[in-house]
Amino acid sequence: MICLKQCFSLLFLSIFSFQNYAQSDNDENLKVGWSTVDITPDKPVLVAGQFHARLSEGVMDPVTATILALESGEGTNSEKTIWISCDLVGISDGMRATANLRDEIRNRVIKTIPTIRPEQIIVNATHTHAAPYVASTAPVEDIYGVSLEQMANGKPAMSPATYISFAADKIAEGVFDAWGKRKPGGMSLGLGHAVVGLNRLQALKHGKSRMYGNTNSSEFSHIEGHEDHSLNLMYFWDLNKQLTGVIINVAAPSQVSEHSYKLSADFWHDTKVALRKSLGDSIYVLAQASAAGDQSPHVMVGSKAEERMQQLLGFGEEGTGRGSLAQRKQIAKRLADEVIDLFPVMKANIEWQPEFKHEKKLVPLSRRLLSPEDVAEATEEAKSWQAEYDRLKAEVRDNPVMIETPRWYKDITISYSKLRRGLVVAERYELEKVQPKMPIEVHVLRIGDAVFATNPFELYLDYGMQMKAQSPAIQTFIVQLTGSGSYLPTKRSINGGAYGAVPASTLIGPKGGDELVAETLNIINTMW
Amino acid sequence: MIMEKYIPINYQVLSVKNKLLFTIFFYVVITAFQLKPNVTFGQNLYIGAATVDITPKLPVAVDGQMTVRIAEVAETPLTANVIVLESRGENTTVIVSCDMVTVPIALKEMIQKEVKKSLPVLDTKKIIINATHTHTGGVVRDNRYNIPEGVTQVKDYLEFVSDRVAKTIVTAYNQREQGSVSWGISHAKVAYNRRAVYEDGTAKMYGNTAQSNFIKVEGYEDQAIQSLFFWNNKGEFVATCINVPSPAQIVENRSTVNADYWHPVREGLKEKYGRQLVVAGWIGAAGDQTPRPRYDEFAEWRMIALRNEKKSPDFATHTGGVNFRNEYHLKEIAARIIRAVDETYETVKIDKHETPIMKHEVNNIELPMRVVTEKEYNHALKMRNEDLNDPERAQVFSRRIVWYNKVLDRYAVQQSNPQPMYPVELHALRIGDVVICTNPFELFTEYGIQMKARSKALQTFVVQLVGPGNYLATKEAVAGGHYSAIVESNEVGPEGGQILVNWTVSMIDKLWP
Repeated sequence: MICLKQCFSLLFLSIFSFQNYAQSDNDENLKVGWSTVDITPDKPVLVAGQFHARLSEGVMDPVTATILALESGEGTNSEKTIWISCDLVGISDGMRATANLRDEIRNRVIKTIPTIRPEQIIVNATHTHAAPYVASTAPVEDIYGVSLEQMANGKPAMSPATYISFAADKIAEGVFDAWGKRKPGGMSLGLGHAVVGLNRLQALKHGKSRMYGNTNSSEFSHIEGHEDHSLNLMYFWDLNKQLTGVIINVAAPSQVSEHSYKLSADFWHDTKVALRKSLGDSIYVLAQASAAGDQSPHVMVGSKAEERMQQLLGFGEEGTGRGSLAQRKQIAKRLADEVIDLFPVMKANIEWQPEFKHEKKLVPLSRRLLSPEDVAEATEEAKSWQAEYDRLKAEVRDNPVMIETPRWYKDITISYSKLRRGLVVAERYELEKVQPKMPIEVHVLRIGDAVFATNPFELYLDYGMQMKAQSPAIQTFIVQLTGSGSYLPTKRSINGGAYGAVPASTLIGPKGGDELVAETLNIINTMW
Repeated sequence: MIMEKYIPINYQVLSVKNKLLFTIFFYVVITAFQLKPNVTFGQNLYIGAATVDITPKLPVAVDGQMTVRIAEVAETPLTANVIVLESRGENTTVIVSCDMVTVPIALKEMIQKEVKKSLPVLDTKKIIINATHTHTGGVVRDNRYNIPEGVTQVKDYLEFVSDRVAKTIVTAYNQREQGSVSWGISHAKVAYNRRAVYEDGTAKMYGNTAQSNFIKVEGYEDQAIQSLFFWNNKGEFVATCINVPSPAQIVENRSTVNADYWHPVREGLKEKYGRQLVVAGWIGAAGDQTPRPRYDEFAEWRMIALRNEKKSPDFATHTGGVNFRNEYHLKEIAARIIRAVDETYETVKIDKHETPIMKHEVNNIELPMRVVTEKEYNHALKMRNEDLNDPERAQVFSRRIVWYNKVLDRYAVQQSNPQPMYPVELHALRIGDVVICTNPFELFTEYGIQMKARSKALQTFVVQLVGPGNYLATKEAVAGGHYSAIVESNEVGPEGGQILVNWTVSMIDKLWP
């Protein structure tokens, strides 16, 4: 009897091994490696995302980078992609300032793994507004008009330049780890829905729009644009059909805790916690934001009802409503519920040899054409902010002990940020005359019937919808903020004139947006 | 949420000292409640609920398209779902949700008349009758379709429905018992805005999005699934109202009788919560919405196929678009709604209210009609004549002829009355912290969002098609044109839409003094 059992066991193992062999002994088989690294600094850093500076005051939850290493085929001719998702507001790429976190990571990786080319590495940001500043390597005084030493009042703090280097080191280590651990695996493609991203632009009856504000007003006409509640999902499995990780693509930036002075990965942290609780501690979650320049997770209509639900769900311990942990947990629940709901269907439909193609292209986009009136208006604003900055600077000079007051620098850094913001319009106006096109990096990655298409912007949703609607792929994952950002608004938003569509917020206008859509679709079409 | 019943107090028997202590205590309690928002004081809530089959006798013409369709088969029953709510001694409201395309005024009046006979005490103005907008229910609009002999006629069907619904209202009224209510909100992707906008500024209902001149989806989508839950005094879950901002018209093209997605929603909920459950379907402001995807169609189709057929469709051999007018998609949409309702139920069942404030206002107002221009008149005249002069088209498109004729009639009226008015009946019903506000239109979503945004209620259930219907489009939609935003489809224009919103908000305001 024992012998019979052993025979069955051996037979079973043989069949299983043969299956594994059959799945892996093919040049086109997919190899998948994951890792995650903690990129939380051990000293206070500047927190990115608001006009005013914030020097971090601790950690709410870790900021991380999740790395997915993919290889299709074998040897030097294999297709390779390293996808890195970072809990950051943007990924500096040299487009807006000298800082270039993306290339810092790439340089470190290719030095150690020469078979990987820089253009095979994609880095995206989740747009958490509670993560370290990586947009510039300049001294903090040049960024915010106040030195880091003054902000920290002499206590230890890490400069953006140091942090960029720290993060690049950590992320590169994560890439080595993921690449080294890659194993044969499969993927499955799923579409779900979750209400996370909400259009934050309010069109008013007089024809203009505003970002945020109170919709409970007789001047409120309608929400300016569309919302996209689809959830593009890609699950990855090992040869035993155990889930190793999932890509979640949602048309919403993660900025619930956008005013926090504590570092945080925002709702992605809670989502990962919720998913690991249900699907296992070892799974990885790679977060992507789809086109969502005009979206936010903030509730524009019906916020009180949502707050009550958060309370009744048991999330209200530390407050409910806008900016609360309860809202993050509610979003996490929506995302996790959908991923878990699709899990059995996805497990039953794994592709082991998906088509795999990756192309990177530098796409020249028309810079936004600004008018002399735009420049005059912005310059005038800059002047008034200069006066305000000078006044506040004098106040600090005359009363140096004020820097002992926590967050004393808020107003002065706002004035400096807005001053710089005004001046940059004139610079862009002049630049457009001599360099009317600006090259941006676009990646298109086909995996099976899905395609990922990247852009470095906070891309307004309509552009994403156009790409999705016209794409030949079954599912099109638009991934914004694979670069340093800047809003890319639509024509109607420019007419509405809300923040996000004004000259100071934009490098590229609707003409460039149309070019981005057309060129991205051209690349996608070559893959079908 | 704190609940407090009103208790009459006999002050005469209290001593002076007790009076003083009690007055202080009473003052403190009242002050505390005043400081706490949303505390409600009302009378005991009494609830009665019942369902009635209103499936017409076959064959029957089905309502909702331009062509005459005769149904020989009833794929699902059509039902009317009745919930009677009484705030003891103060207000009684009757909610009736019907599987039909609209609720003609004649039908409402027939039901009111019948109910009055049996329940003279009931204020029949406070019967709220809405349509789920299924396009596969019996024809209820008279003089719209040329219905052949041998097929159930409109008059007969209206009599049948009014009789059954009236009797069911009486039954539910007589069965009412003390109970409790709760409310909640969740979300599900059911509404898809069906108007695509193109580079030249034109819009098209169900326009193709997969073309290079597509620039955007015209308007907003509202994915809120709001629910009311009612329990009897034994704590049994007896009734629910579910507010979905998307019309029930997945299988709208069929020549069969079908309650559309509400049938699987009701069956799914009854399976889980018991056959006693009465499910009233309310459609939110959804004149520009459809329950069928407008982009990502292949991805949606694939997911449905994976769930139901355990395999992906063969895209390589597929040509053309995706047809979502099928059982799988009905099941899919129903599953999404059920999931949202389940989640809401599980969350709010700990927050039952036995004595919610209940107030019900009914206003009859007039809205300015959309004015027919000379150009629009000439177009309607030409199109009408083309149909009318071809005997075959005159029969098949009898509904379209009526559609054009109405424009001609309106234009004629305008010669003596340049700004005709359109009468509408509006309800605003407060139950505890929430309000239900109705309108008779296929109301574009943006108007509903304005109402929700400006409402004083914690939750605002906008219920469209509490009346005879017709599209009420936004300014942007009118500028974009196409069906649902042209004069033939709109008796009231954006100007009237804004008045409707403002009036509704003022009605709600009065319920929160």
